[in-house]
Amino acid sequence: MTERAPIAGDFLSLLARHHAAPLGTVVAPDAPVQTQGTTVFAFHFADGILMGGDRRATAGNIIVTDRIDKVLELDATSLLAIAGVPATAFEMARVLQTSFEYYRRSQLQALSLPAKVRALARLLRENLPMTMQGVGVVMPLFAGVDQTVSPPQPQIYFYDPLGAQFHAVGYAASGSGSGTIRSVLSFQERYGRPRPGEMNLKQAVQFALRLLMTASEFDSATGGVNPDAHTFATVKVLRGSGIQTIDADQQAELLKP
Amino acid sequence: MIEEPYRWLEAIGNRREYVREQLKGGSPVFAASLPEGILLLGIGTGHSKVFELFDRHALAGLGHPADIEKIRQAAIDAAHLEAFNRAPEDVSLRRLVGFGLSPQLKTNFEQIFSAPFLVELLLAEVSVEPSQDLIARLHFDGAFQLHGKGVVVAASQPEPEAAAQKWLSQTLANNTNRSEVAEMLLQTWWCLTENKSFAEGLPSEAERRDGWRKAVNGRTVETCWLARKSARLTHYEELALTQLGL
Repeated sequence: MTERAPIAGDFLSLLARHHAAPLGTVVAPDAPVQTQGTTVFAFHFADGILMGGDRRATAGNIIVTDRIDKVLELDATSLLAIAGVPATAFEMARVLQTSFEYYRRSQLQALSLPAKVRALARLLRENLPMTMQGVGVVMPLFAGVDQTVSPPQPQIYFYDPLGAQFHAVGYAASGSGSGTIRSVLSFQERYGRPRPGEMNLKQAVQFALRLLMTASEFDSATGGVNPDAHTFATVKVLRGSGIQTIDADQQAELLKP
Repeated sequence: MIEEPYRWLEAIGNRREYVREQLKGGSPVFAASLPEGILLLGIGTGHSKVFELFDRHALAGLGHPADIEKIRQAAIDAAHLEAFNRAPEDVSLRRLVGFGLSPQLKTNFEQIFSAPFLVELLLAEVSVEPSQDLIARLHFDGAFQLHGKGVVVAASQPEPEAAAQKWLSQTLANNTNRSEVAEMLLQTWWCLTENKSFAEGLPSEAERRDGWRKAVNGRTVETCWLARKSARLTHYEELALTQLGL
């Protein structure tokens, strides 16, 4: 089955596809090229969860930037990793940030983890028309802390574009480089030593950076890590107690032989 | 009554007396701008007195808990709406108080057929530089004063409040130590609740120190810290007395 090329999205383009455009109408030939953000992942290590992502955004074969942050703090105990169209994803993050903090401040208690997970699912469902049109697709990862157990436990969730939510036991990845990352994570989980769940922070960060380096070898849309150009990843750690950011300098230090 | 102005004035006067009477016995709250942030302090009995409003904003108040709650919700709604529609950096205490809360309180106070708000409030905004900090003293009738530095007190009666604020400003003039400032605020709280005079016959420091420690038994001391520098968006942090070394 051949897939029809996306159209510009306006009504005249739709008429033109069906050969019904009024005479003399100038129709935009193609859908606008969308900016896309890839690749993000999260895995459990000994201390909590590490969530990381490269910093590249692409539009077709154009590199738009190598300085985008795809792992975002929604509140003190929630992380969102975005893959897909940044315009939609950043707006989703903004909506979630505001609603989580508004709830906490006004109700004097934090929103529960299931409620946070569903809030993101609802936004994805509301984005369904854009997803079906082929514009604005977002495939995020979410990490939050389950406060109903003692001690509080960080958890990873991943979604499909329609908003179905899935609990990830060990790891999850999304974006164009996710195939490579899932393969390496699966291999490490089954045959590697130490397993991701046994790694300490230093090992986990090194592993995460190497994951991105590997993914970037097979996927041009994944920015990877380039210490010579001081291009590193966005890496955040979520523990029961909160979030820690591993900045570029710390990553550079950890990558030194 | 509306068509007889002198009766309206009389009604407003009565209303002011009524509010002051209702607020008598309310536990004072304090805000102090320091080099590293702003400290807010209140002592409650079951109901909270110090609240987070937004990333860099907090509120402390005394009065009827239901009225404090209404003001708190209104402030949180306005701040989050502004932040979502524009940006978190656009949420400013000056606008929140001047264009949001104060007109509402004034309108409510002058509508003599509705119940007045029984509140006295402090709202604080921490900035990048101490010189840009803002503490607003907002009254039940919508009147407010903006303070750029130092210590601000909110108490149920104006005269003791002014005396306490003057005394605190003199006592803490060059003191920027957070723990020592908190200690002095607690001593002032005790003096205010015990109706001690700040002009003459002020109890000795040992007496004041002993006094507040005994008086807070069975009550909750709430202290919040609006940190000037924070790695997080939220600068608000709840502090325990032990964290202040008290």
